[in-house]
Order: sequence, then C-alpha cells, then structure tokens
Amino acid sequence: MTSATSAKRIDDNNKNDRTNREGLRGWLNPLTYGWERVSYWFQRLTGIFLLVYFIGHVYETSSLVSGPDAWAAMLELTQTVGGHLFLILVIGASTLHTVNGIRLIFTQSGQGLGKPGRPDYPYDPTSVNNKQRSGLWIAFILAAVAMLYGANVLFSGE
Amino acid sequence: MTSDSIKNNRNKNKNMTKWFSDISFLRESQIMKIHYITGVGALFVVAIHIMMRLIMPFNMSLEFENVILNYKNIFYALLLESILVLIAIHGFNGLRVILLELRQTQIWERGVNILVIVAMIGIIAYGTRTIIIANGFSLG
Repeated sequence: MTSATSAKRIDDNNKNDRTNREGLRGWLNPLTYGWERVSYWFQRLTGIFLLVYFIGHVYETSSLVSGPDAWAAMLELTQTVGGHLFLILVIGASTLHTVNGIRLIFTQSGQGLGKPGRPDYPYDPTSVNNKQRSGLWIAFILAAVAMLYGANVLFSGE
Repeated sequence: MTSDSIKNNRNKNKNMTKWFSDISFLRESQIMKIHYITGVGALFVVAIHIMMRLIMPFNMSLEFENVILNYKNIFYALLLESILVLIAIHGFNGLRVILLELRQTQIWERGVNILVIVAMIGIIAYGTRTIIIANGFSLG
C-alpha cells in the first residue's frame, strides 16, 4: 500500500468516525448528570429561552410605533392565562440564569473551588463541593420565589 | 496522517473559508470577560426596567400613554438602549459559545461568528429604531 493510499484511508476513516461527536444527544443525555451537569444544562437552556424571548420582546415593543391600536392588539397576546404563564417562566428562567451565572463567574475566577486534592477513589471532584451545590440550590429557590411573586403581580394585576 | 495530507487538508480548509473574513480580533478570554461584564451590567439595567413596571399597578403601567411617556424620557430611553446593547451582546455571544461547543471546524466557527454578529447588529438596529421613533425623533 502506498503512503498516499494509506493517508487517504486514514482521512476517510476520520471523516466517517463520528463516535466522538455526540452533538445535541450528548448534551442532553441525563444518564451521567452530576451537579455541575445540571447547572450546565439549565444555564444553556434558560439562556436560549431568554434569547428567544428577548428577540420576541424587541419585536413586540416595536408595535408601539404603529399607534395605540397595534400596541393594544400585541398586548392582548400576553394578557391571557397562557401569556401570564409564559411570562412567569421568563421570570424563573431569568432569575435562575442570573444567580447561576454569578456563581459561574466566581467559579471561573477560581473562587469557592477548594484546594486541589489527589484523585482517590471514588474520584469525587473537590470542585463540586457544598459551596457550589448550595449556589445552585440558592439559584433554584430564588427562581421559585421570583416566579411566585411574578404570578401574584400578573394574576392580580397589581 | 502524513504531513502531506495534513497540508492538503489545511489548504482545502483555507479554500473553503476564503469567503469568510477573519474576525478573530479578540481572544476567547477577552470575549468571556465581555460576556461577564455585559451579563452583570444587564442585571442592573433590567432590574430598573422591571421596577419601572411596578411603580404603579402592572396593567396600568402597560397602557400606551404610560409606555410612550417612558420612552419620551431621555434617561429611560438611554436605559432601554443600554439594555438592548448589553443583552444583544451577552445573548448572542452565549449562543455562539453553545454553537461552538457542538462542532469545531474552521468553516463552522467562522459561519457562527458571522451569523451572531449579523443577528446582533440586526436586533440592535431594529430595537434602536423603535426607541428613536417612540422617543419622538423623526427618522426623516
């Protein structure tokens, strides 16, 4: 076999070998979830959700320039039970994304990770410690509180 | 893989991506700093934006006249513009990070970079148009 043929075969194998490219399936696989994985997953899902909401919100508010009727028609979409529930989800997602994001800023600057230790069995990473876990719990609790407050404001109209 | 085939692949990639400009003018560490700064900045300005909705009954605050009055206040208009810019940068850079985690080829990276920059500029331009018109300035 010439070196050119061999190189071509290796190239073809590399092109067809997709075992290490799990893509979205790997991203969403819940079988290997730890705390960091839950945080990673929620941060990305809430981020995408909020970006979609942001684009929709910019479009929604642009109806202002078409006058009061267009504004009222657009506003009617959110003044329903479904619209309120959607806004409550936005409130929860933005709170979770914010609080977890602040935790991640500290984490990426090396705060709250603990001292590095020898990797002994059962190989629990020292970085996933109580500080990190409580940070995530605080994010979930604050998101729930914000959603309750938002529900109260939206459904009572006050 | 031989060095010849590596060179060939590099040349092939160069040819495939010659239509895209090289926009790697910032290092990833600098982009992440911008990501964090825009995130924290957005937290403060969005908090003020939400509080403006709660200084009177929520439904009343969304009436056309009240919203237009908000937009006519130059400080509030500047606040809205800063929300628009900060969240557009933070949001679309976040999307870029997610998309680059899914695949790492030169053509994909440059395509994603261009896509998010165009989308970012588009949404900022569209939102700015609303702020300017609602504020009362004429676009001609």
